[in-house]
Parts: sequence; structure tokens; C-alpha cells
Amino acid sequence: MGETITFWVLAVVSVSAALGLVFSRKAVYCALMLGVVMFSLAVLYAVQDAPFLAAVQIIVYTGAVMMLFLFVLMLVGVDSSDSLVETIRGQRFWALVAGLAFAALVGLAIGNTIVGPAAGLAGATQAAGGNVPALAQLIFSRYVFAFEVASALLITAALGAMVLAHRERVRPKPTQKELARARFFSGYAPSLPGPGTYARNNAIDMPALLPDGSVSRLSVNRVIARHDVDDDHFPEDAKLADAIRQAVEEEGK
Amino acid sequence: MNNTFQAPTIEYGQLAPLLLVFGAAVVGVLIEAFAPRYLRKSFQVPLTFVSLLGAFALILVQVFVSGVPTAPAAMGAVAVDGPSLFIWGVILILAAVSVLLITDDDHFVPQAAAVPGSAEEDDALAEGAAHTEVYPLVLFAVGGMLLFAASNDLLMMFVALEVMSLPLYLLCGLARRRRLLSQEASVKYFLLGAFSSGFFLYGMALIYGFAGTVDLAGISRALGTVSGQDPLLLIGTALLGVGLLFKIGAAPFQAWKPDVYQGAPTPITALMASGTLVAAFGALLRVFWVALGNLDWDWRPVMWGVAILTMVLGAILAITQTDIKRMLAYSSIAHAGFLLVGVIATGDARQNADALSGILFYLLVYGITTVGAFAVVTVVRDAGGEAGHLSRWAGLGKRAPALAGVFAFFLLAFAGIPLTSGFFGKYAVFAAAATGGALPLVIVGVVSSAVAAFFYVRVIVLMFFSEPAADGPTIAVPSMGTAAVVTVAAAATVVLGVFPEPVLRLADQAASTLFIR
Repeated sequence: MGETITFWVLAVVSVSAALGLVFSRKAVYCALMLGVVMFSLAVLYAVQDAPFLAAVQIIVYTGAVMMLFLFVLMLVGVDSSDSLVETIRGQRFWALVAGLAFAALVGLAIGNTIVGPAAGLAGATQAAGGNVPALAQLIFSRYVFAFEVASALLITAALGAMVLAHRERVRPKPTQKELARARFFSGYAPSLPGPGTYARNNAIDMPALLPDGSVSRLSVNRVIARHDVDDDHFPEDAKLADAIRQAVEEEGK
Repeated sequence: MNNTFQAPTIEYGQLAPLLLVFGAAVVGVLIEAFAPRYLRKSFQVPLTFVSLLGAFALILVQVFVSGVPTAPAAMGAVAVDGPSLFIWGVILILAAVSVLLITDDDHFVPQAAAVPGSAEEDDALAEGAAHTEVYPLVLFAVGGMLLFAASNDLLMMFVALEVMSLPLYLLCGLARRRRLLSQEASVKYFLLGAFSSGFFLYGMALIYGFAGTVDLAGISRALGTVSGQDPLLLIGTALLGVGLLFKIGAAPFQAWKPDVYQGAPTPITALMASGTLVAAFGALLRVFWVALGNLDWDWRPVMWGVAILTMVLGAILAITQTDIKRMLAYSSIAHAGFLLVGVIATGDARQNADALSGILFYLLVYGITTVGAFAVVTVVRDAGGEAGHLSRWAGLGKRAPALAGVFAFFLLAFAGIPLTSGFFGKYAVFAAAATGGALPLVIVGVVSSAVAAFFYVRVIVLMFFSEPAADGPTIAVPSMGTAAVVTVAAAATVVLGVFPEPVLRLADQAASTLFIR
């Protein structure tokens, strides 16, 4: 009874999260939805007498893989949007046809196999002396070589990450003094205006004014500006509102 | 509670070649961590050669002192049998020859993290920086190849597949020149490779659902006892096949090959085109002959189609290529098709042994010739690096007759002209296929060989009978390593073409025991 209730609750949650993952336009939402799907799966595993798999699902997928996704999204930038231009004509349509055909094939074929009534894992687990001990038996005896060789994979991954990402400095890192000197020699001496520096409001959503009273284009926060335009929420000052509209239009190009 | 734990038995003697290669790779990583920068290469190069040649010596010891094992090692995970030992020997020779090419510094990027074309890249280049991590990565890839060809259960095979592929994905992106192309190749290979691994894993899961085991012999036994679950088995077989056929570059999963071969640093291309192909054929044979051997009525028609498509597509598309590395990639696709003809030629034990021996011999001669051909490609250069475009090769025979002559000889070996090793390779495989009842395939094979011969000869004509371009490529003076590779490959191609008897007999002996279960 409890299993049935858990199943139906999680079925609704995970399927709607999966649909949200596919249809959401924002990458962070997609990642979070994926987290929900993975978490629901973990609970289902736990209910199905597979506690080790459930723990691994949470630690590896929800923990490590999801965090990795989020880190990558943060590195790429939350506000960066992908180009959605499709280079292959009719790609969507044919992908849909192929996907549905494959799903039908797999569904029909697996539905066609003769499967006896589900026996559940409880009996087998009992006979083998518990879920985790039985897995340990297999990993450290029959599959011990595969388990050991997987370490080569981990070393390769770590080494590869170092090769691709580690930058050795050939020149010493420029000091603050050198940076300041370079900026003065570049002809653009003053530092960049912070948001709201000369504004009446000390807030990040207000474009800054330069000493001559004009709006500093550099101070317009693009992400907030986009939200302002979407929500039709502009500062009262027409000059500032224009600067925000202009920033969004420029970005649109 | 079942508390008695039986400690696993691991036959360290049989696995010694594998363990040596992996151990050397780990030591290589430690050298990267602790040795000063200027000393690293002088540690890494000897270490790499000693481990590869030492592993080869260990194989000889295994064969001639202890004899060929008759039971799988490491709790049934690795099958060190006659075919495995032969394939290991071939992979180690090809890897050692490819490492000779890799020791030429100027194929690899000085600093992979520097943005292509940036000032940092120039600085790193001026500083003489180099990624000596390449050597341990190559050793890991070679270790994966050895294991892939010898794995006796699907789980081991999957781990080996990843151990083999991951370093190669990485090495593909480290070319010194045309870095964007190289990085694109790396990403393409990674994405498609990950996709094909997914197929392999899905197929493995379905087969496990059918047989209740991932052991190749266990699957073979289950074929006779489990009934009513054929759809699981058939879909599983198809998906496993996709994963394996992707690795050998058989059509319709060949699309990655030209792009990756073109973008990767040429020594790595040589390693992939020879070593990976050999290892992947070892694994393919093991899955389709050992595990699914009794299912041959079901997979044979599909394999016929794949083999025909691969041979024809490889031969025809090669004609339209204008880049020398792409042309060699399509030629590699066509050769994968020729080898698949041998995979289909199953029958009784005698027939299987003949087909297997043909495939083993073909893999050796094709691998050696391929490494030699890519070694020649590294030497023909212009301002932007290797002169890839075929038009740049016009009149090469007049500027560098020796080099062009050797290259022409390699091309003739690819085409399978008598008195080259390629002829005997093709003959061994096609003869086995003809007696195995695959005569139509042999005819398609011979016709596509003729088509393939057309574009090989076209390159030869271009090199010897065209006027050299005024600003044609310079022939770099080959380093010791490259010169040695070209010499060894040319010598092997000649010797195996004139006097193939000893090696053929060795392949026969290796194949006579077939795969152990």
C-alpha cells in the first residue's frame, strides 16, 4: 500500500519535472528540474529494496553531477543564451519521427517479451545476505579487476582536466600598480563607474550618471534591464528609461 | 548471513603485460607531479618505450615459457588466449611505433589551456613549454586497448572501452597547428563516442535482462536455455553492435572518422587508425563469436549489409576527398569493411580458425602500413604545418623521390597489389570468406578494392606525373623517430609482402585455439 502511494505521488512529480526539464527555456531551471527527477528516482529505488542504489543515486547524480551542471552554468554565465538557430533543415521534425519510432520499437518489443510476475528484490537480497554485503561480494571478487581498472579512468580524467584547464604563467602576474599604470597610459584613465554612483538611488537597477549628467552606458546591468523591459517597469526619469531600452535593443542585435 | 568472503584469485603472470602498461602510466603521472620541467621528457620517453617493449617481452615469455593459458584470468574477467596474445603483440608494436612519432615535439600544443592565437600561446611557444602528459595518456589508451580486446565479460569490456577512449578524446584536441580544427575534432569525437558508449551500455543492460549475466560464455549458454525473451536479446544485440561498429568506423557509424582523423595531431591519428581499430576488432569478434556465436542466423544478414555499405561508402567517398588525411580516413573505413567480411565468415571450428587467422594477419599488416603512411604525412609541410591538400602534393615525386616512392608503396599496399603485405592480408580474409559461403561479399570486396585502387593510383600519378607547384611544400628533414617509423613500416610492408609465411603461421597458431570461454 505504502509503495503504491509513493509510486503514484512520485510518478506525477517526476514526470512533470521531466516535462519541465524539456520545455523550460532557462538552463538553471532545467538543471533543477533534472535534480527533482533524479531525486524521485532515488526514492523509488529505496522503496524497491535497493537502498545502496538509492544512496548512490543521491550522492553521485543529485550530488556530484547536478552540482557540476550548475557550476558549468555559472561559469558560462546565467544570462548567456544559446543560439537556437537550427542549421539542419527539418531537424526537429525528423528528430521527433525518429525518437517516436525508436520509443515505439523499444516499447513494443519489451512489452512483447514474456515476463513472469514481479518477484521483487526482497527474497534475493535476503538469500544473498543483505543488499550492501552482496554487492560488496561481487565488486571485490568477481568484478574486482573492472573495479581496479576504473581507477585508470579516474586518473585519466584528473590528468585531462589539468591538461585542458591548467594555465602555467609564463610571465609574472601584473601587480595592481602595473595595472593602474597601464590604464592611465591607455587614455581611458578613470575607473569604470559602479552602478548607481551618481544616481539618486543607490541601487543596482538604476543606471549611473556621469559627471556631465549623461547616462553611463557601462553601468546598465543587462540582465536587470531585460527584466525591466519584460515587466514594463522603468525608472521615472525618461533619460534613464531610454538608456535601459537602448541596452536591451543593442543586446538583441 | 553469508559472511565468508572468498578472496579473488588474480593470475598476475597472465595479466603482467597489462599491469606493466598501466603501472608505467601511473608512474608517468607521478613524474609529471614531481620531476622538474626540463627533465620530464627525458624520463617519460624511456619509460614509455620500456613499458611497451617490456610488455611485448612478457607476452613472448607467456607464449614460449608458460604456454598459452586455457582458462580466463582474474575471476573470468580477462581472457588471455591465443588471439588475445596475438592482438596484444600487434597493439604493442603499433603503439611503440606510434610513440616514435609522438616523441617529435612539434606535433603537440605547448599549452592546451591558452586560447588559440593568443599572446599567451606565443609566449608558451617561445618558452619551449610542452605537454609531456601526452605520454602517460598514450599509455592509458594503450592499456585500455589491450584490455578491450581481451575482456571476457561485457562489464569489463565497457570499462576498457572508456579507458581506451577517454585519453584519445583528449589527445585529439592537442594539435599544435590548426588548433580550432583539432579542438572541434576532439569535441565531435567525445560527443559521438559518449553517445555510442550509451548505446553499448543500453544493449548490455538488455542482454543482461535476457541472460541474467554479463559473462560472454554465460550469454552464450543462455541462448540455448532462455526462451520467450527474444526481443530483449535482439534489441540488445543491435545496440551492442552499434557501440562496437562505431569504434571500428563501419558505415553508417563512420561519420566521425574523417573529421577526427583530420583534426587530431597526426601521430595520434596514426595510433587511432592502427591500435584502436585492432582492439575494436578484437572486442567485436569476442562479442559476436563467443557470446552471440549461436545467434549468427540473426546477426549475419545485418552484418552483410553493414560490410557492403562500409566497403562501398569508404571506397566511393574516398575518391571525392581533397585532403590527404581525410582520404586516408575513408580508406580506413573501407578497410574496416574488408575486415568485417572476415567477421561474417563463420562456420565450423576449422573455418572459424581460418577466418580469425586472416583477420589477425590483416590487422597487423594494415596497422603497420597505416602508421607508416601517416608518418610520411607529418613530413610534407608548408608554412601552416602539414600540407594537407592533395594539390600541394603534386610533383612531390620530383622534389623528394625517396619519400614519394615510399608513400606510393604504402598506397599500393593499401590497394592490395601483389608483392605488398596488403595483398596477402586481403587474400587471407577473402579466401576464408569465400570458403565460408560469403562469395557475394568477396565479389563486392574485390570490386570496392578496385575502386579504392583508383584513388590510391590517382595520388601516385599526382605525385610523379604532375609538375611541382612553384610554392610547393617543403619536405621537413625527418627526425630520427619519424625516419625510423617510415623505415620500419616500409620494411615490414616489403617483408610481409614477399615472405609472409612465418607471420601467417604465427597467426594460424594464435587462431587455432580460437577464443577461450
